[in-house]
Amino acid sequence: MKIIELHESVTASNDRDADAMRIAMKKQGTLLINLMSSPGSGKTTLLSSTIRSLKDEMNIGVMEADIDSDVDAKRIETLGAHSIQVHTDGMCHMDAGMTQAGLDAMEQKDMDLIFLENVGNLICPAEFDTGAGKNVMILSVPEGDDKPLKYPLMFSTSDVLVISKIDALPYFTFSLEECIKHVKRLNPGIQIFPLSAKSGEGVDAWNNWLRTEVKQWKED
Amino acid sequence: MDRYEIIETKERIEADNDIQAEKVCEQLKARKVFMVNLMSSPGAGKTTVLVRTIKALQKKYRIGIMEADVDSDVDAKTIADTGTRVIQLHTGGSCHMDADMTRRGLEEMGIDDLDIIFLENVGNLVCPAEFDVGAAKKVMILSVPEGDDKPLKYPLIFQVSDVMLENKIDTASIFDYDPALAEERAKQLNPDIQTFRISALNGDGFEAWTDWLINAVEEWRKSL
Repeated sequence: MKIIELHESVTASNDRDADAMRIAMKKQGTLLINLMSSPGSGKTTLLSSTIRSLKDEMNIGVMEADIDSDVDAKRIETLGAHSIQVHTDGMCHMDAGMTQAGLDAMEQKDMDLIFLENVGNLICPAEFDTGAGKNVMILSVPEGDDKPLKYPLMFSTSDVLVISKIDALPYFTFSLEECIKHVKRLNPGIQIFPLSAKSGEGVDAWNNWLRTEVKQWKED
Repeated sequence: MDRYEIIETKERIEADNDIQAEKVCEQLKARKVFMVNLMSSPGAGKTTVLVRTIKALQKKYRIGIMEADVDSDVDAKTIADTGTRVIQLHTGGSCHMDADMTRRGLEEMGIDDLDIIFLENVGNLVCPAEFDVGAAKKVMILSVPEGDDKPLKYPLIFQVSDVMLENKIDTASIFDYDPALAEERAKQLNPDIQTFRISALNGDGFEAWTDWLINAVEEWRKSL
């Protein structure tokens, strides 16, 4: 079996902008979370569940990034959270400049927590720092436990992995143990939350993690 | 007088790619090799669909597989187990295949003694749709757990594909997936798209898909 390397240079010139954004958001006391996953892994469903659980304790905003639709922003709006829709116009990821433009368009100064729901894609979003305080990725059970082997960068750059749709474990050949083993090999410091936003299993641990992070972001 | 020139990089890259794709297409026609560009999200079941398709067609056709991945060879190993000729292409971080990468892959693989080639594109619903690779047919997989709203959110891939395979159809009831609604949304974007409800795992609906493929290969050969 032959393996052919097709290299392409990727520009990563937005790291400086991202660092400046992080400092500004820290001063402001707003934790920005960059939420990434494949299409259909459950980003919007997880956000909906999270907003319902935490909206009475903190001020939450959502930035929905999509190529060209507003399906998700409409879903979030019905929950009463402040949301805006960012259109990437065909682009497969958000970068720092686009995220800043989204923040500028949002009334977000008094927010405690903002979620950036990135474009559904396991590749490019991992390459572009958005200036977020934390990177969170979702892997859903139906996608398979081999995904860390195939899209390693995403797993290496995330602070948290949410394993979603665990209520579907009986129907798929997905081994939580195998998956966690692969992920920890790439990123020993990653925190992992297996959960089902549908059944509610495991969501408390995730919500508690968010509570702690929001508090810490404001403190030090 | 204009003080500076604005260069539309993206358009230019895509225009160059289209020229390359045309060349790949001509080369494949000259050798009567039918190429399928297979696209989907990560984990939608491209490799599983391929393995079952190979098993259904390998007595009739000589098949070759090009596996495109960012940086692994998990899938190529799975395909190699079927005894089919396979090469692994590493895109070096790039999130899609383009025509020139495909040309190089075809050169490395050698295509003179093949009837059908499947290019398993990088798992991504966005960029692969923008880059023509010179394939005779574009096939996309939407898997049931992803949801029936995906045509609304990633319209281009549904617009450019000849076929939508609705895979993991055996799990439709678990995920509140409405196949008729997904098909209606896909057809609103692309009235000519062919849709097949399949399960690559248990074989449900698979024959309709492989029958379509055989017919497409034969029609294409006649048209040459």
